[in-house]
Amino acid sequence: MNSNIKRRHALLGLMIVVFIGLLVLSILLAVTIGAVKIPLGDVYRIVLYQSTHVKIGALETGIQIGDIDFLSKGTMYEIVWNVRMPRVIMGAIIGVLLAACGVVMQATVENPLADPYILGISSGASLGATFAIMIGASTIFTGWLATMGVAFWAFAGALGAMSLVMALAHLGGGRVTSAKLVLAGCVIGSLCSAFTNMMVYLGKNAENMREVSYWLLGSMVSAKWERLTLPGLCMIAGLLFYLTQTRTLNTMLLGDETAITLGVNLSRRRRVYMVVTSFLSAIAVCTCGIVGFVGLMIPHIMRGFVGSDHRFLLPLTACAGGIFLIWADVLARVLIPNTEIPIGVITSAIGAPIFVYMMIRKSYGFGGR
Amino acid sequence: MNLSTNNVSVTLSGRQIVKDVSLRVMGNSFVGLLGPNGSGKTTLLKAVYRVLKPSAGMVCLNDADIQTLSYRETARRMGVISQFTVMNFDFTVEEIVLMGRAPHKTAFSRDTEEDYRIAEEALRRVDMLKFRDRSYNTLSGGEKQRILLARTLAQQVELLILDEPTNHLDIKYQIQIMDVVKSLGVGVLAALHDLNLTLLYCDYVYVLKDGRIVAHGRTEEVITESLIRQVYEVDCSVERHPKNGRLHVTFFSRL
Repeated sequence: MNSNIKRRHALLGLMIVVFIGLLVLSILLAVTIGAVKIPLGDVYRIVLYQSTHVKIGALETGIQIGDIDFLSKGTMYEIVWNVRMPRVIMGAIIGVLLAACGVVMQATVENPLADPYILGISSGASLGATFAIMIGASTIFTGWLATMGVAFWAFAGALGAMSLVMALAHLGGGRVTSAKLVLAGCVIGSLCSAFTNMMVYLGKNAENMREVSYWLLGSMVSAKWERLTLPGLCMIAGLLFYLTQTRTLNTMLLGDETAITLGVNLSRRRRVYMVVTSFLSAIAVCTCGIVGFVGLMIPHIMRGFVGSDHRFLLPLTACAGGIFLIWADVLARVLIPNTEIPIGVITSAIGAPIFVYMMIRKSYGFGGR
Repeated sequence: MNLSTNNVSVTLSGRQIVKDVSLRVMGNSFVGLLGPNGSGKTTLLKAVYRVLKPSAGMVCLNDADIQTLSYRETARRMGVISQFTVMNFDFTVEEIVLMGRAPHKTAFSRDTEEDYRIAEEALRRVDMLKFRDRSYNTLSGGEKQRILLARTLAQQVELLILDEPTNHLDIKYQIQIMDVVKSLGVGVLAALHDLNLTLLYCDYVYVLKDGRIVAHGRTEEVITESLIRQVYEVDCSVERHPKNGRLHVTFFSRL
């Protein structure tokens, strides 16, 4: 007799391959869409040449179809390879990061309402970024601190808030429970928001205020190749780490006691996951601001389709997050001509109806039925 | 596989719950742990399966201090069925049972044919094969308990720790679970409430009261009218049943 679950696992394995394919396809399609109309053939000739282009010493090679000047110089080249492509790739990286972090965070705190920002990441990052934009680091600090940009301050704020949350949850001894963490996250979150709002309220400069709000709602506008290296490397390292942890993540959902009887001591692992996840989320936040919804809802949507087994849920959710954010960013670019819509607005506007549909269509009840 | 606790004490929030308990489970004997509510049965078992750390004494598996073993090593030898807990996330029945294979797996190993076969066989053994695709959270308490037994079967251990495994079960499944456990031929340490089930299945019993062992020995020698009166504070009569020749307990109401 053929085991049902074996067939299911084979199917889910196949689904991972399909989703990776869809992610690549999304990248290739999204790069053809934009305010400037560029013929499809031209776009792909540029992408093909640039992505295969290698230069070792005097030797220069690449798959070249057409004029070399067209492929590596000029407006078309600039738009396709230096504007659109990094932006699409950034969407993919951030989407993958946030969705994967969301899955892991929900398992780590055993709470389906958790998201990657739960440990105060978003509020800390907002505070840091708002400080840098509204007041300016150079008015307070001297030396190297004064020269750091908004991204650095966002990152510092995120890590600072995370450390405070963790310290608060450890306060008074005892085990670090998910309830303590969530509450500590709320407390630090409102504290940070208070300061952020204060700075925004007292701010005079309309241009700065616009920058702050743009940043708080998330945006891929700043995408450049050189800004992708760090998030890209972190994404790869983070995903590889998570993929070795999927069995542990499964036992995590069964609770601490059961996990021990299955050979896993969760209290140490939980702390490791929390630090790794918060770090990765902070990287995402300082790259493109706070992009809501992806880290909370994409894991839920995928869980509704494929179940809670992290060996499949994690890679599928990561891909889905990347695909989702690529297309959300495409909409952000083209929905209103000549205007950028903050990506956080788009993700919520598309994501919410999808999630409502999930709730109606299926018996998906967040686990608690 | 031999299990022993050597002068184990457990203290929870300043109160000593288990006091100086020494017991052993040799080879594949079926050992019962009796005692009224609050006598420390569950706490002692938790110290055995490493959820709690003893404040004094030590727990040994085959003469090795359990604290020196990794959690994975203990999980490969010792399986636990305790009360089921509520989960915030959902798995299918078969996914839950397959998790019993976790201690035998490394980070990268995939489920093999063998794993699927073991899980299927475990489900068949507890008579839950037709529930394999159901979501675990939709099951009744008794069904969940049987799934947890199946998961422990899939774990393929040499020693089983049971904490009132027959709670929530109707009598048919009480007997089924106990039969399955007994037929495995592994060592068992079971906290039980039901004295008649104890008489049916246990070779040896330890009786706890207020965290101390007050009696131990062969089941039929320990479970007597006077002991039950002393430990549980109820009146009863212990008689040999004419049909199977075994002792059974009848309780009397105070009214």
